[in-house]
Amino acid sequence: MSQNFSDNCNSINIANSFNYTPSDDESKILAWLSPLEPWVRHRDIGAERVDGIGAWILETREFRRWRNVSSEDESNHATLFCDGNPGVGKSYIM
Amino acid sequence: MVLLIGCDNSSLVIDRLCDEAVKEDTVVMCFYFDFAARNEQSPVNMLGSLLRQLVSGQENIPEAVVQSFRERKRGIGGRGLQVSGVLEMLQTIAATKRTFICVDALDECVPAHRIVVLESLRQILRGSPNTRLFVTGRQQVRSEVEKRFGGATTFISIQPTEDGVVR
Repeated sequence: MSQNFSDNCNSINIANSFNYTPSDDESKILAWLSPLEPWVRHRDIGAERVDGIGAWILETREFRRWRNVSSEDESNHATLFCDGNPGVGKSYIM
Repeated sequence: MVLLIGCDNSSLVIDRLCDEAVKEDTVVMCFYFDFAARNEQSPVNMLGSLLRQLVSGQENIPEAVVQSFRERKRGIGGRGLQVSGVLEMLQTIAATKRTFICVDALDECVPAHRIVVLESLRQILRGSPNTRLFVTGRQQVRSEVEKRFGGATTFISIQPTEDGVVR
């Protein structure tokens, strides 16, 4: 995943090279924004997850309403919080 | 569009959101709190990481970010980012598109950082009606989320069983 990420950066740099001076190249700006790489954790969790576990959540009324609600909708459900005790697999759901 | 975190059929919620993201101008961002990484996971690094994912999904890095980068570089000793600066950029860019922010293990964010992170997320949601926030965490932080986001929050409780994660 991180390899793909740097590949993306390279291709974007080439495509947009006329927009940036060499000292402002895209990968430098991205690294300046944050040194953290949560997509690495995302990949690791995905590799550990057992298929089908927790899939029920995608079918709940709460999840569908949260995902589909539009800005025009008066009933604002912008935040969905999944709580559970340690070890129930919350990270695998995300 | 480029999705930084990738859609690789390896996760549930993020993957489902990504299905939609390829159809629309949507960006999905994620963050995993980890108590062992609490020193690096400061609010500015956490929010900066969301911003990094948001701008990586764009064809070009937004001008506001490039400008800020140049200004900071000119500062004495190359001043680093601050929460207010990151928040401003996040708000500006998130308001123009449909965005999903997914945050795992909020309870593993240290309390002092959690206050700043939750308040920042609240401000992003307030300024950007097309932003949705997905959070997981232990029940002990539920009241903090409730207090910060009030009635705009839906709660789902996850209970363990022998054959996996169920409600």
